[in-house]
Amino acid sequence: MREVAIIGVGLGSRWGRFDGSLIEMMAEASLDAITDAGTDEIDAVFVANMGAGRINNQTALASALIDYLNLFPAVGASIENGPASGGTAARIGYMAIASGIHDCVMVTGGEKMRVAPAPVVTDFIATMSHPEAEYIYGITFPSLGAMLARIYFNKYGVTSEDLARIAIKNHKNGLMNPHAHIQQKITMEGILTSREAKLNNPMIADPLHLYDVCPVTDGAASIIMCSLEKAKEISGKRLIKFTGTGQGMDTMAVHEREDPTFLKAVKDASDQALVMAGLKRKDINFAEIHNAFEILEIAELESAGFYERGKAHLAIRKGETEINGRFPVNPSGGLKARGHPVGATGVAQLCELVWQLRGEAGERQIPNNPKHAYAINFGGFGNNVVATILSKT
Amino acid sequence: MAEKVPIGYECLNCGKIHYPKHGRCLQCKHQDFKNVTLPSEGTLITYTILKAPPTGIDRSSLLLGIIDLGEVRYTGQLEVEPNDIRLGMKLKAVWKKVREINGKPVSGFVWFPL
Repeated sequence: MREVAIIGVGLGSRWGRFDGSLIEMMAEASLDAITDAGTDEIDAVFVANMGAGRINNQTALASALIDYLNLFPAVGASIENGPASGGTAARIGYMAIASGIHDCVMVTGGEKMRVAPAPVVTDFIATMSHPEAEYIYGITFPSLGAMLARIYFNKYGVTSEDLARIAIKNHKNGLMNPHAHIQQKITMEGILTSREAKLNNPMIADPLHLYDVCPVTDGAASIIMCSLEKAKEISGKRLIKFTGTGQGMDTMAVHEREDPTFLKAVKDASDQALVMAGLKRKDINFAEIHNAFEILEIAELESAGFYERGKAHLAIRKGETEINGRFPVNPSGGLKARGHPVGATGVAQLCELVWQLRGEAGERQIPNNPKHAYAINFGGFGNNVVATILSKT
Repeated sequence: MAEKVPIGYECLNCGKIHYPKHGRCLQCKHQDFKNVTLPSEGTLITYTILKAPPTGIDRSSLLLGIIDLGEVRYTGQLEVEPNDIRLGMKLKAVWKKVREINGKPVSGFVWFPL
């Protein structure tokens, strides 16, 4: 297999609400990535999106994006894999280059979610759940996050304060990320301990408060990948290698898992990516974690093996996951602050890894020259998960 | 008509009981199953009070939980006084309308205190 590098990344304008069309939004991110790469000689385009057929009345997005940007003769396909669509599209892009089928691939993810009222968006996300065993009962993803959190609270002593602490850290990082949807400083007092906190931060799925859950966001992200050999010829940037990819699966209905707090798909995906990269967990310098709910930042760090079961919240209390901590997590602000346009998230995580590894992350730059970075893109409620490791050459 | 009770799917090869239905056994990949009656009483292992129900649920607040029935677990709606709800409580399944999907009523099991 050939080695693969990421030579361009882009997120377009600040995430939040985008006034133009879905394709215009994805085009903006794609053009940023093309500019960053310094080439538009792309053989294939993989577009990651989950819900455009349902909420934007548009399908076959890769064809539309290639047409809009005149990327002909590039070929393309759209990848739908729930919230893991972005990581999956990047993994498929990697396979296409590693196998020698394509030399240069663009992976663009995008989701324009703020077109629909909240109950409709919640419902479109909930269509990922099991149709007979979960969906019909009104199971939503926040409710699955809440039920996981309750088991965690009971079993490991995690508290609402622990979740708030993660949200405060992610908002702090988001404030240093010009692309982040949410750019707001929050405090423990403002969201949890004062009288006003009940109004500022209402319970939305007990025990999860509003600030424990990601916002609804429009956004797109794009990366350009090519063979390492070609990257050395054409790229003037510090090369970032795609060193590991893994994907894991689990049962669709959460209640069928023997231990619902153990995210088997996260472990399997992480193990595969680490073996492929020839790295140990201790070699990874920082991570972007799919925190659609802050409890997932804890659960994924543990299931991925970066912390012992039931111990991540203790490390978080000590500040280990802050940008200046021992193991920075979500320097971008993660899904909580950057936002979670579902199809874009997995691609945006890789953009952040690249910026950090190149040393281009500005105010939120992780110190001490990080070399290996990890991302987890979590699909379904953990039944389809992609892990990626990128490394500095 | 007899009262509706929760149904599981027992693998005819290894005996593993599933809920929901699978086309092949999660344990041995066998394809033949028989329907078995599950206990209609169980223990609450986690729950949430959802303040933002999705479309098709005409309520501002919805109780959802996972109930342990012994060999399998069940996800469903709960009808319990929010102040009385606690982990480990015993619940009993009653068949009733749970939601509208595309304007049509859909029924399922709702769990009441025993």
